Amino acid sequence: MGPKRKIKSGHVGADSTRVDAPDKVRGRAVYTDDIDVPGCWYGKVVRSPVAHGRLRSLKRDEEFDWSRVSVVLPDDIPGKNIADLFIHDMPFIAHDEINYLGEPLALVAAPDRELAEEAARHFHPDIEELPGIFHMEEIVDLYKKQDSSLHSLGEQTTVKGDIEKGFSEADMIVTGEYWAGYQEQLYIEPQAMIAEMTDDGGVFIRGSLQCPYFINPELCLTLNLPPEKIRVKQEMTGGAFGGKEEYPTLIAGYCALLAMKSRHPVKIVFDRNEDILFTTKRHPSWGRLKTGLKKDGTITAIHAELLLNGGAYTTISRVVLARGILHAAMGYRCDNVFVDGRIFKTHTFPCGAFRGFGAPQATWAFESHIEELAKACGMLPQEFRRKNCLVQGDVTPTGMVLKDSVGSPAVLDQVLDRSDFAKKLKQSSRGNPKHKKWYGIGLAFFAHGSGFTGDGEARFKAKGAVELDWIEPNHPGVNIRISSTEMGQGAFTIMDQIAADAISIPLDDVRCPLPDTSLCPNSGPTVASRTTMVVGHTVHGAGLKLKAALEEFASKEVFEGRPVVLENGRFVCSGEALPFRQIAASYLDKHGRLRTEHQFTLPPDLKWDQSTFKGDAYPAFSWGCNAAEVEVDPLTFEIRLKKVTACFDVGRMINPLNCKAQAEGGLVQTIGYALMEKMDVRNGKYDADRMQTYIVPTMPDIPEFDITFVEYPYEFSPPGAKGIGEMPMDGLAPAIANAIENATGLRCNRIPIMPEDLFTLHRAKHQNG
Amino acid sequence: MSNVKRTWNVNGEEKTLEFPPLRRLLDVIREDMRFTGCKEGCGEGECGACTVLLDGVPVTSCLVAAGQVPDGTQILTVEGLEKTEQGRVLQEAYVSAGASQCGFCIPGMLMASFALLSKNSRPTEEDILDAHGGNICRCTGYVKIIEAVRLAAQNWPRK
Repeated sequence: MGPKRKIKSGHVGADSTRVDAPDKVRGRAVYTDDIDVPGCWYGKVVRSPVAHGRLRSLKRDEEFDWSRVSVVLPDDIPGKNIADLFIHDMPFIAHDEINYLGEPLALVAAPDRELAEEAARHFHPDIEELPGIFHMEEIVDLYKKQDSSLHSLGEQTTVKGDIEKGFSEADMIVTGEYWAGYQEQLYIEPQAMIAEMTDDGGVFIRGSLQCPYFINPELCLTLNLPPEKIRVKQEMTGGAFGGKEEYPTLIAGYCALLAMKSRHPVKIVFDRNEDILFTTKRHPSWGRLKTGLKKDGTITAIHAELLLNGGAYTTISRVVLARGILHAAMGYRCDNVFVDGRIFKTHTFPCGAFRGFGAPQATWAFESHIEELAKACGMLPQEFRRKNCLVQGDVTPTGMVLKDSVGSPAVLDQVLDRSDFAKKLKQSSRGNPKHKKWYGIGLAFFAHGSGFTGDGEARFKAKGAVELDWIEPNHPGVNIRISSTEMGQGAFTIMDQIAADAISIPLDDVRCPLPDTSLCPNSGPTVASRTTMVVGHTVHGAGLKLKAALEEFASKEVFEGRPVVLENGRFVCSGEALPFRQIAASYLDKHGRLRTEHQFTLPPDLKWDQSTFKGDAYPAFSWGCNAAEVEVDPLTFEIRLKKVTACFDVGRMINPLNCKAQAEGGLVQTIGYALMEKMDVRNGKYDADRMQTYIVPTMPDIPEFDITFVEYPYEFSPPGAKGIGEMPMDGLAPAIANAIENATGLRCNRIPIMPEDLFTLHRAKHQNG
Repeated sequence: MSNVKRTWNVNGEEKTLEFPPLRRLLDVIREDMRFTGCKEGCGEGECGACTVLLDGVPVTSCLVAAGQVPDGTQILTVEGLEKTEQGRVLQEAYVSAGASQCGFCIPGMLMASFALLSKNSRPTEEDILDAHGGNICRCTGYVKIIEAVRLAAQNWPRK
């Protein structure tokens, strides 16, 4: 696949501890709400109390002293009243039709939080209420009836081979339906943003966010400002998981509109209740699979449908759906595949990005279904997966040939071996009434695309830069300038490693400041498991260019034109050596700052058709396999996850310690998705809207972990990393459901799986049988 | 209600403050004393990010009315940890185990660890789980936090 480039080792591959940790354990890391902005006002959103309706009027109490506060209504918006989030179907402030409970009706700012909240209570909307649609069940019901009242927010199909021919060749056909619920990101730092006007009439926005170059340019339309007048800076961010991907454009817009109206800096920090009620969630989903099988376990046809509950407006949902359908039938050999994905509108807050981005929903359905397929042809789950899993040279459902960097079947074999799967599967209880505790083990195998879909990275042209500068007084060093954010995942630590390695200088001479659009090129958003692979590559390339420039300078200025190599922090020339800092200082004294930039490219033979969704779906796939072991109490149906054995291929590991940390964190988040985090909508409102009612895993809930990696580097883009951030979210839910089936004999087709669901299934099984 | 006056020992230093008695201890710590290491994650005692020690006992400061905290109370926040050898051992263990990711839960998590190890420097697995059960972390999956507490226990300065 394209030209092979040399991969060199050094800092890359080492367990470097995190650069941000010393400040964080000392309480010195400054998050948005810790910043003391003089004269800062406090913003509050006035929200609709109904989910669907028509706004007749918005009255305000006359006895309230409105001169003490600043109010923004739709007419106060300097630009268009449109939230420029991918599709222009959402107003920034509702003025006519209301489409979800909590939709903004007005914004208010005051010198302190209490007054802002008080002012918000003096608004009285008069709304004609209309009937709404809220639940995935309603969507699926109407979808099955082909009811035209369903409001589509987007759809996409991808076809391979001839699905009808595939089914005609099958000995049997297996069908299944699989449901997944909402999931709240529940970053521990709530959404927080500050905006202030600048002297040139622009705005300076800073806060807790994932994608500085989403907010700029997205706010240009609303604020009626050119991009150069909107400066966005990330502050230390206390977790994001996709929840601070597209959403921050809204809260940044609220702050900016209020700052422009009030002429004060304006801060908004949500409390937890507001954060859960009025920000994005993972899309609830429904997947229906129909698969043709031969008796020997060969898959002849896969027909997959994936429906997402998009919420009230389109926002980022079509991008989520794209990743969803590209994972809906991914991982197994089959010549005839039809995948259809659709997003439907409900009167709830728009769903959005969450770690995995459609792939967890797709993988949940498909890996549950794979278990059914194995059963249908009388094969063991591991045998079926081993027989059908894609390996190097195979072709994916979109027609992508897996030429290299394929960690399959290695990840599968490693998990089967390390978990002692075959033996433990035989020990599984399958609802045996003689067992005091029901034990079961379950498997899931999966791939996760790294980077933007298709040729998205080629079109985006991500850039990263490094800069030789004074990084402290008397300390020449290198600043990394990228728009990638550090939100806890460890990006800055691995960027330091990559830059130090490329330039061949000590880690202490490199730093990665929080991104600021006035200083950083656009490396793209911090999403899609792309940061290490794509932006890491730009830092690597920029580092090599900086190194070459400094070697040339040293040769010319110090070593009389002889060849010089910068190696481990020293400029070496035929036996002589001078320290990096000495030459760097003389460069800075003579020429000032030196900046080099590099752009990410894709192999020229990568082909993608965005209209048919055919071709090379991603630059590369990461691969994963999980085995879950559960214990279920036959009396109470309490489910205890005992052990998780996981193996991942994420390409070259830049920092194995950090890779493991990402895997552990993602797997525990998936325990919540599979077993705990239950959220529904009642009367248009999320019913688990506080930490007391939205239950996430705590320390006593975690199982024993055995996490390993196999390295199949992405050779085209040194240093050879693929994605890791999202993949741990993909496979554990179906592995747990498969384990529960092996423990209890009960098939759960809906997550989260609660004890009461098992009880219901148990009663149904025994009443009918 | 009129303000009350309290004198506490905060992170080893005597401080006298005046505030409305029902003001949350969290706000007195973050806003009045500017110890912003102490974090608010939920405001209802569930996440544990605002945990501080009152005379060595961990409390969620978002649920404490500051007026209820008597004169002479020793208050320890994350900022006070590095003033003691034990605190430094704990911080170093968190760094080297890779226990901090986004870092927002960490100030509270550290206080839970410090309270545990100050009383029991040879904790069992169960002791560790018990002591941190009230602190939610969404990044780490807790594995490296448990490793950090074990590491700190190994290196804990014993008199």
